[in-house]
Amino acid sequence: MENLVSEEEISEVAKLMKIQLEDHSDHITRVQKMLEYFDILDSANVESEEITVQETDLDKLRNDKYNPYGKSLLKFLKNYQGKYVKAPKLN
Amino acid sequence: MDLGISALNYVNGIRNGEFTVEEFVSKSLERISQVDKKLHAFLRVNDLAIKKAKEIDTKIKSNQDVGKCFGMPVSVKDNMCIEGSKTTCASKVLENFIAPYTSTVITKLDSEDAIIIGKTNLDEFAMGLSTEFSAYGPSRNPWNTDYVPGGSSGGSGVSVSANECIASLGSDTGGSIRNPASFCSVVGLKPTYGLVSRYGLVSYANSIEQIGPMTKTVKDSAFLLNIISGIDSNDNTTIDNKNQDYLNDIDVGISGKKIGIVSEMTNSDGLSADVLNATNESVKTFEKLGANCEQISLQMVPYTVAAYYTITSTEAGSNLARFDNIRYGYDFDSAGFEFNSYISQARSKLGPEVIRRMILGGFVPSAGHAGKYFLKALKVKSKLIAEINHVFEKFDFLISPTVPIQPFKFGEKIQDPVSFMMIDFNTVTANLTGIPAISVPYKITNGLPIGIQIMANRLEERSLLQAAYALEKTVNLPEVPSL
Repeated sequence: MENLVSEEEISEVAKLMKIQLEDHSDHITRVQKMLEYFDILDSANVESEEITVQETDLDKLRNDKYNPYGKSLLKFLKNYQGKYVKAPKLN
Repeated sequence: MDLGISALNYVNGIRNGEFTVEEFVSKSLERISQVDKKLHAFLRVNDLAIKKAKEIDTKIKSNQDVGKCFGMPVSVKDNMCIEGSKTTCASKVLENFIAPYTSTVITKLDSEDAIIIGKTNLDEFAMGLSTEFSAYGPSRNPWNTDYVPGGSSGGSGVSVSANECIASLGSDTGGSIRNPASFCSVVGLKPTYGLVSRYGLVSYANSIEQIGPMTKTVKDSAFLLNIISGIDSNDNTTIDNKNQDYLNDIDVGISGKKIGIVSEMTNSDGLSADVLNATNESVKTFEKLGANCEQISLQMVPYTVAAYYTITSTEAGSNLARFDNIRYGYDFDSAGFEFNSYISQARSKLGPEVIRRMILGGFVPSAGHAGKYFLKALKVKSKLIAEINHVFEKFDFLISPTVPIQPFKFGEKIQDPVSFMMIDFNTVTANLTGIPAISVPYKITNGLPIGIQIMANRLEERSLLQAAYALEKTVNLPEVPSL
């Protein structure tokens, strides 16, 4: 069990992800178990493998130009006042 | 009127005047109101379905052009947007979210006169494989309502299996179309990555997920793929398939084709004996049809579940950042809250699995951990792609059981996160490599379905559907039990 990622580390990540852990212990235990399982990646012997990425030719992408949407999206915002989006204050 | 008919038979029925669109849609809505209290396939039913049916009947009667679907009722997983209506992703966070635009697949179905009969249930944000993680309660398997229908497109699978509609659209990130197709005894196709536009699909892990059809027959999947596939300027990952007709020559058979039986997927620890027997029977069937089957090995397969969860959690962590109740969310006043605590508080409406995936998604790519998890997962993915490329130089198809086990009872698997993840063992390979894969209903054992998965090389949907059709023709499965 000493290889388990610590509760503190997981709590810290949760905080960074802006997640409040209410049912603390159950979440932490399950995340620990999942991470412990991910250790199997260590035995995949892929250290020397190159990471391939999907490439798309620029000429296959749509034209890089402004496309007017034509409909008001602002009405869908929950916290919209005047010309501004209302957000909670930053300390 | 038989609500269990295929999409192609529905079209013939309308063309021959056997029934009207309104009659069929009314009966489908009646069926939904009768059985869906028990099954919970639908999160919402389209109030305008009858109106649309009448409009299409009018077009038919007055000899106007009518789209290929002739008003067939199709359900859609509730993570695809339809302008002006709710799209919840089975999450409380999006309980009242009204989509401001329509996804490309829905636009395409609409232009061919399909009627979207309702939005179906899923695991919250498509994260799960049983619908037990839906914030609105699970769907139930019509073959036995004590059992899960699979997921995450479980509502879609149930709606087709229980004859509540003709066909459905699901999305598949790690098996979310094929798993419920297998569990509910319907056909489920995950197309090649890029063949179907994802514009308007709420993203979970956009580098690997695809929308695809869930249908009563293989031909119906080909029919729907004809409609929904193709290049879309709103999704830069889409591929021009030159309007390929997937129904054409679907019955050419598979004589002389080479099939690889993926040994890692037919020898895994979690594989049930009944599922293995069914798979072995399907191999014999393929051989009788003239195909050559042999065992092959994909050495990266044992690492794919870990790689899949690492990659998808990372992408989910990023994609779900927008659900901060400022950009997307529900009515919850921010007055008096500090910025971070407001977002954390708002996110407490997210369900437990989504929260865990977001934590994982913050952890595995973070500085200090990326080398051990995320980068290694990407390397597994790269090596798996190389293996798949190599194997398709010699083989036409790969086969495996779609899911290593049959449907399980509610609550039976959910407690152990690792054995739960392993249920995805056979399906994630197609997502990580971008290849198409289909689940074909093959057997009912102990009253519950078993599906066989066939995979093909990228953009080989035509031959994949030919193989699936050849297999389907050999099976004669019982009707879904009356509910």
